[in-house]
Amino acid sequence: MSTGVVQVLAALAFAAAAAGLAVRLRLGIGREIVWAAGRAVLQLAVVGAVIAAVFRFPALSAVFLAAMASAAALTSGSRLRGLPHPRRTALLAIAPPALAATGLLILVGAFQATPRAIVPTAGILLGGAMAATSLTGRRMLEALHDELDAIETRLALGDDVRGALAPVVRRAVVTGLVPAIDQTRSVGIVTLPGTFVGLVLGGASPATAARTQLVVLLALLLVELLAALLVSVAISRAVTAPGERVVVPERDDARGTPAR
Amino acid sequence: MGDSSEAGGLTARDVRLARGGRAVLDGARLTVPRGAVTALVAPSGAGKSTLLRCLNRLLDPDAGTIELAGRNVRGIDPRELRRRVGLVAQTPTMLPGTVRDNVAYALPAATDGDVARALRAAGLPDAFAGRDAAGLSGGERARVALARALSRAPEVLLLDEPTAALDADTAALVGRTLRALADDGVGVCMAVHDVPFAREHADRVVGLDDREPPR
Repeated sequence: MSTGVVQVLAALAFAAAAAGLAVRLRLGIGREIVWAAGRAVLQLAVVGAVIAAVFRFPALSAVFLAAMASAAALTSGSRLRGLPHPRRTALLAIAPPALAATGLLILVGAFQATPRAIVPTAGILLGGAMAATSLTGRRMLEALHDELDAIETRLALGDDVRGALAPVVRRAVVTGLVPAIDQTRSVGIVTLPGTFVGLVLGGASPATAARTQLVVLLALLLVELLAALLVSVAISRAVTAPGERVVVPERDDARGTPAR
Repeated sequence: MGDSSEAGGLTARDVRLARGGRAVLDGARLTVPRGAVTALVAPSGAGKSTLLRCLNRLLDPDAGTIELAGRNVRGIDPRELRRRVGLVAQTPTMLPGTVRDNVAYALPAATDGDVARALRAAGLPDAFAGRDAAGLSGGERARVALARALSRAPEVLLLDEPTAALDADTAALVGRTLRALADDGVGVCMAVHDVPFAREHADRVVGLDDREPPR
């Protein structure tokens, strides 16, 4: 039996064991585990086939990157409901820093200009930017509701909108950056990140894997900070009304906890 | 009362504002002359707070005119307008930090003496400046908010239910403070539901049509 078949069977066995245990303990999530595992099998099979096609036809890389950025914008946009153009706002916060950083890393020779390097690097950076955008945006929209009295107090005392929103923006950006900072701080101690594991499993030396991981991890700090700043600026603009006033969008009651 | 804006006060005419398809203000009128205490008396929910927020442009009405010293407020820099027209909310929000931080907020040149003067005018001792603003009672917050507004030396001072969180003695003290401000030329307008307090401390008692309500 080939290694590939064994890998898939082993993975399915783990999922089946988790589902079986959940059913036995009557946790009520057995069906959910099966459904999630099934989705993962299908999605990874499809993405594997698509990436294989991208590797064969490099011109498809641009289409794939656009699709990744759009998917990230859709996901983040759903966390920014209440804003006038949530998906566009999310796209403008996520794509420019992530794609610019990818381009820069390739330009300086940190990675080769091949789909094999571009697609996963851009994917990781887009994912990080998406998480920072969702967290920052969600936190800021919540704070605009919860702290509107304080914001209006600052306006009434003579602040402009920018000054009145500054504490809210600062806290939202810090919240958006916490996972990236924690991930960077704990790398190699609490977790072995995906790039490192993937490269080692793929046959690269631990030194090469560590170097590549470091580049991605440190690039993520700037990419996520820029994404957080961009979404906070976009939200600040969206709630600024003529006459140095703040008009907060209706509260989105169907909000969820941003996932990372 | 004539057009107070010519004398430096605040005048609102035919102010209309709708929220969610409902008219919150429907042709409201108000005159706040300088050197007098005006009490705006109307039932809860009638739009008193909304009108006060329109007067310093925290809200922009859908229609109507608001003038400060004869000049449409839309033509005045909003930051300048809000420095000249102070607003004390019904449940004032304390900003993080000490009482001093609050009273001197956005006033980098404010001295300890300025802060102490504003506190005294609001009936608080000088030593109050070092207190943590987050730990104040409702009545203390109301007076710190008054001191915070006074520290900007406004031409017009708007107060939304200024005595709501105060006991009778402190309310009387605030009433005397407002009287002293008016005597110094400030235009004072307090939105209140306590009609006896209004009649005792105000020169004019008016409704949202700028006319004296029937006794």
